[in-house]
Amino acid sequence: MANAHAHAALQTFSIENDILNVPAQHELYKFDTAADKKVQQAAPWSKDPHHFKSVKISAIALIKMVIHARSGVPWEIMGMMQGKVTGDLIVILDAFALPVQGTETRVNAAAEANEYMVLYQEGSKQAGRMENTIGWYHSHPGYGCWLSGIDVDTQNQNQKYQDPFVAVVVDPNRTISAGKVDIGAFRTYPEDYKPPLSSSSQQYQSIPLNKIEDFGVHSERYYQLPISIFKSPLDDKLLNLLWNKYWVGTLSQSPLISNRSYAISQTLDLAEKLQRISGSLSSRQPPAIALPPRSSATSTSALMANLATSDITATPGKGKEKETEKPKVEKERKVEETQLGKAVRDSTKIASEAQHGLIAQVLKDVLFSARPGEGIESSTAGLGGGVTGVEQQIAVVSGSS
Amino acid sequence: MDRTPSLSTAGIPAIISTSSQSSLQLSVHPLPLLNISEHFTRTCLQTDTPSPLIVGALLGTQNGRDVEILNSFELVITGHNEAAILDREFTEVRREQYKQVFPSLDFLGWYTVSPYPTATHLAIHSQFGAYSESPLFLVLSPTAITSASEDVPLDAYEAAVEIVERKSRTVLVEVGWKIETGEAERISVDWVARGGGEGGGSLVSHLQTQRAAISMLHERILLLVRYLSGVLNGQAKKDHDAIRALSALVASLPASQHLEFREEFDTEYEDVQLTSYLATLTKTASTLNDLVDKFLIATANKESGREGGPGGSMHGGRGLGGVGRGRMGSGFAYPRPEDTWMRQTARVYD
Ligand SMILES: [Zn+2]
Repeated sequence: MANAHAHAALQTFSIENDILNVPAQHELYKFDTAADKKVQQAAPWSKDPHHFKSVKISAIALIKMVIHARSGVPWEIMGMMQGKVTGDLIVILDAFALPVQGTETRVNAAAEANEYMVLYQEGSKQAGRMENTIGWYHSHPGYGCWLSGIDVDTQNQNQKYQDPFVAVVVDPNRTISAGKVDIGAFRTYPEDYKPPLSSSSQQYQSIPLNKIEDFGVHSERYYQLPISIFKSPLDDKLLNLLWNKYWVGTLSQSPLISNRSYAISQTLDLAEKLQRISGSLSSRQPPAIALPPRSSATSTSALMANLATSDITATPGKGKEKETEKPKVEKERKVEETQLGKAVRDSTKIASEAQHGLIAQVLKDVLFSARPGEGIESSTAGLGGGVTGVEQQIAVVSGSS
Repeated sequence: MDRTPSLSTAGIPAIISTSSQSSLQLSVHPLPLLNISEHFTRTCLQTDTPSPLIVGALLGTQNGRDVEILNSFELVITGHNEAAILDREFTEVRREQYKQVFPSLDFLGWYTVSPYPTATHLAIHSQFGAYSESPLFLVLSPTAITSASEDVPLDAYEAAVEIVERKSRTVLVEVGWKIETGEAERISVDWVARGGGEGGGSLVSHLQTQRAAISMLHERILLLVRYLSGVLNGQAKKDHDAIRALSALVASLPASQHLEFREEFDTEYEDVQLTSYLATLTKTASTLNDLVDKFLIATANKESGREGGPGGSMHGGRGLGGVGRGRMGSGFAYPRPEDTWMRQTARVYD
C-alpha cells in the first residue's frame, strides 16, 4: 500500500518529462564494435560543425559526475566520460574521476592525468565496458555551466585530435541550491567557423561578477546540447524501491542550512552588481552639455530600436558605454537584457530558492512541533500560524517567480 | 527503516548461518546499487545470458562497527563455478586508481547478482581476504522484485566461522542494512528517477516532493497505529523493543520547541523574508527605471521634433530616487492634453 502511494508520487513527477526507459533503450547498453568502427571512419562530425544535436547520459554516469563534483567543493574537479555515437546523438554510459583538482588549468591537467586515463580505459575494456572515451567533465562550483576561455581551448584540442568528444560541466553548488541537477553539455566550433547569429541556444544564467568577462568573450565559440537521462528497467525498479527509503532525506535535510554559504556568496555577488549598476545609473546625471551631439543621437536611435523590438529596454547609460568601448558588439546585440534586468532575475532566483527552503522548514515545524491534543495553530503562533504560514510562503513564491 | 534479515528459511543454502546475526551497522548508498544494476544489465546484454556471474568491489568508510558503502567498481574473474578466480592484477590496479581519486574510501567488500549466495560465492569470498580484513558481501537479486516489493532486494553478509558437529566451517552471517544518501546524491537520484528534464526547480515540483515525503511519513505512522491497536485488542504480538522505541519517539515530540531552536528558526524565517523583500525592491526599482527610460525616450522624441535636437531631454534628474518622489505620477492621475503633460514633466526633470 505504501509502495503504491510512493509509486503514484513518482508518477506525478514523470508526467511532464519524457521518460526514456522503453525496452528499445536496452540497445544503448549494448556495444557494437563493428558499427562503432563504421561511424568512426565516416566521421560525419568532421564535415558539419553542428553535427551533434543532443546528449544522452546514463543514470550512473550522471550520479557519478554530480557526486564527484560535490566532493570537490570548493575546488574544481575533472574526469572523463565513456560512451558512443549514434547518429547525431552522443551517448554517455559511464564516467570516471581523474586525480586532478584545482582551478582552470585544463590543458595541462589533462596531460598530467594521461597515464591514469590510459590505464583506466584499458581496465574498463577488460571489465566489459567496451565504450571509448567520449568526452570530459569538470565542475564549476557556484558559477554556472558554460565554457571558459581555457575550457574552449581544451575542448578545441580534443575535437581536433580525438573527436567525437563532448564537454560536460556540472555546478554542484547550484545543484544543491536549486534542488535539481545543474549540468550542461557543449561542443566548440572550429576556429574559422562563424556561427549563425540566432544559434545561441543558451538559457539565461547568473554569472558571478568575477567571471563575467571570461563568460562573455568566449560564448560565441561553442554551442550547448540538450541533455536527457536514460536508465534501464532494472534501474527503474530499484529507483522506485529506493524512494520507499530515501523520502526520509527530503524531510531530514534542510536546504537552507546546506546551502547557506553559497546563498551568502550569491547575495554578496548580487549586492556588488547592484552597486555597480547604481553607479552607472547616477553617472547619467551630469548635464547633457557634456554629451557630444553625435553620441547622444545614435544612442537615442539605438534606444528607439530597442523600444520598438522589445519591452526590455537598454538604458541610455549602458548604450553609451558600449558605444565608446565596443561599437561592434553593440550593433550585434541590440536587444540584450539590461544589467538591472539581469540583477532582477538573479535576485528573484535567490529569493525563490530561499523560500523553497523555508517552505520545507515550516512544513516540518508544523509536523513535528504540534503537541498531542493541541491545534497546529498554537504551536507555531510565532509565525502567525503554521498552515497560514505555509500558505503565505506559497503566495510569496508564486508571486515572485 | 532497517532492513531486518529475512526470516524465511525455505531454500536458504546451508552456507548461511541461521543462528547468529551480525552486529555491523551497514548503510548503502544508491550509487553502488545503481552501479550493480548497470553492471548486470550491460553484462546480460553483452553475453546474451540472463544470469551471468558478475563481481565488483565495494568502496566505503568504516568506523568501528559502522560501515558505509558509497561507491563500487567492476572486477574481472576467470574460471567457472567453484574454480572462479579473481584477477588480482586488475583488482590491485583499480583499487590503487580509486584510492588516488577518492582517498577517503577503503576497499570494504564485494558484490554479485544472484537469487541467493552459493558455494561459488563462498569460494570467491575467501579471495577477498587479501584486500579487507573482514570483507562484506552484497547480493542483489533482481528476480525477487515484484509489484508488491517494498524493499530493495539486496542482502548483505559477512563471513564467520561456525562449529557444527565439532567441525569448523565458514558460513555467511546476514547483516541488516539501510539506505543512506548525501544531499547531492539524493538530488541527482531524484532527478534521474523523474527522467531528467526541467522538473525539480519549480515551486510545483518542490511542493510535490514535500507532499510525497509527508504522505510516506503518514503511511508509516498509520502502520504503527494499526500495529498498536492490534496489540491492544490482542491481534498482534507485543514487541517490547518496538513499543519502547515508539514511546521514546512520542516523548521526543514536539521536536522543535527549545527556546534556542525557536530563536534560530525565527532568525532564519526573517532572513528569508528579508531576501524576498529585497528581491521585490530590486524588481520595483528595475520597473521604475524602465518606465523612466521609456518616458525619456518618448519625451526626447517630442522635443527633438520641436527643438531640432534630442540633447535637451537628456538633462539630469534620472536617478532612481528622483523618480520615487512621484511627481510623474500626478501626470498620470490627472490626464491633460498629451502635449502639455510631456512638456511639464520635462520641465520637472530639468
Ligand atoms: Zn571550466
